[in-house]
Amino acid sequence: MKPRPTLIACFASVGLVLAVSGCKTTVNTLEPGQPTAQREMLPDKRVITDASLNRRMRVLGVNSITTPAGFLKIQMEVQNLTSSLKSFTYRIEWFDEHAMIINSATATALPLSLEGRETKSVTALAPTPMAKDFRIKFLEAVN
Amino acid sequence: MKKTFLPLLALSAGALLGLAGCSTDAHYVDPAGSRAVTEVGRINVQDFANAADTMVNSLIDSIISQDKLKSGAPGEPALMAISRVQNSTGQQFDTDQLVKKIRIQLLKTGKVQTSTTISLGETEDPLAKEQQAAQGNARPADYTLSGKIIEDRAQAGKLRQSAFIFQLSLSTRAGVAIWEEEKTIIKQGTRPSVGF
Repeated sequence: MKPRPTLIACFASVGLVLAVSGCKTTVNTLEPGQPTAQREMLPDKRVITDASLNRRMRVLGVNSITTPAGFLKIQMEVQNLTSSLKSFTYRIEWFDEHAMIINSATATALPLSLEGRETKSVTALAPTPMAKDFRIKFLEAVN
Repeated sequence: MKKTFLPLLALSAGALLGLAGCSTDAHYVDPAGSRAVTEVGRINVQDFANAADTMVNSLIDSIISQDKLKSGAPGEPALMAISRVQNSTGQQFDTDQLVKKIRIQLLKTGKVQTSTTISLGETEDPLAKEQQAAQGNARPADYTLSGKIIEDRAQAGKLRQSAFIFQLSLSTRAGVAIWEEEKTIIKQGTRPSVGF
């Protein structure tokens, strides 16, 4: 009366297919063909140390403005390159005109979840008008 | 007998190696990093930082960086006092975990100062209040910060979900809210974990 190995394998395969298909959801989008707003993307320098993360997400670009009171505001466009939901964390460091880091009481790694193939715009504002440069760090979610 | 013993041995060795890799010895963790313990049913330290970051970003973006803050004392930054920030969640914590971070960051902008003597309940600095009273030079706050933290729980089978909603308002002396923001943090899981 022992279950046959082929039967077990069959159930396992069905389960696996169901699990995988349940997790795969990609995003369809719609936007104006000719956008009114024009954005100027910043030339950037990238250092890739995690090839796995690089295969899963991509930063399409970063644009920035300076507000009337002198605060630097950045917006990055990130894309999930996979077909399933992925979670990442990112952290932004701000630097003054002398390239010294600006410490912030609210500095923390922020969670970012992207559905399959989704592109998301993430904005951040410098904590003081002294901030002139920034560095964004990305990590795959620990869990 | 040998056939069943070998895979078990390999499995045990693998489990041991895996556990050794995830050492639980006491160690320091970067508070701004992503390896702090995350619990579903509680607001963790990184959640307060996340909420404070959103609030400060929003306040700077829509009010401070637009030069919309008006100071009652010419040449001085606007003065803000902390009103009630109510904890409406099921857990006990000091709301200063949120408010202090916001105060620090706002002070660093150079556009806002916070009063340590004007408060709804207990004064933050009683000695400063005494000195202020002795000198008779109390300056009224230009703005007050108030808010609430709300919790909502849900469960589906073993999967638990907690939503923590942070709400803050900045009001003028006339009682008009010139800025309001809400940040929702949702956590799901079946057990606590390290990192997020």
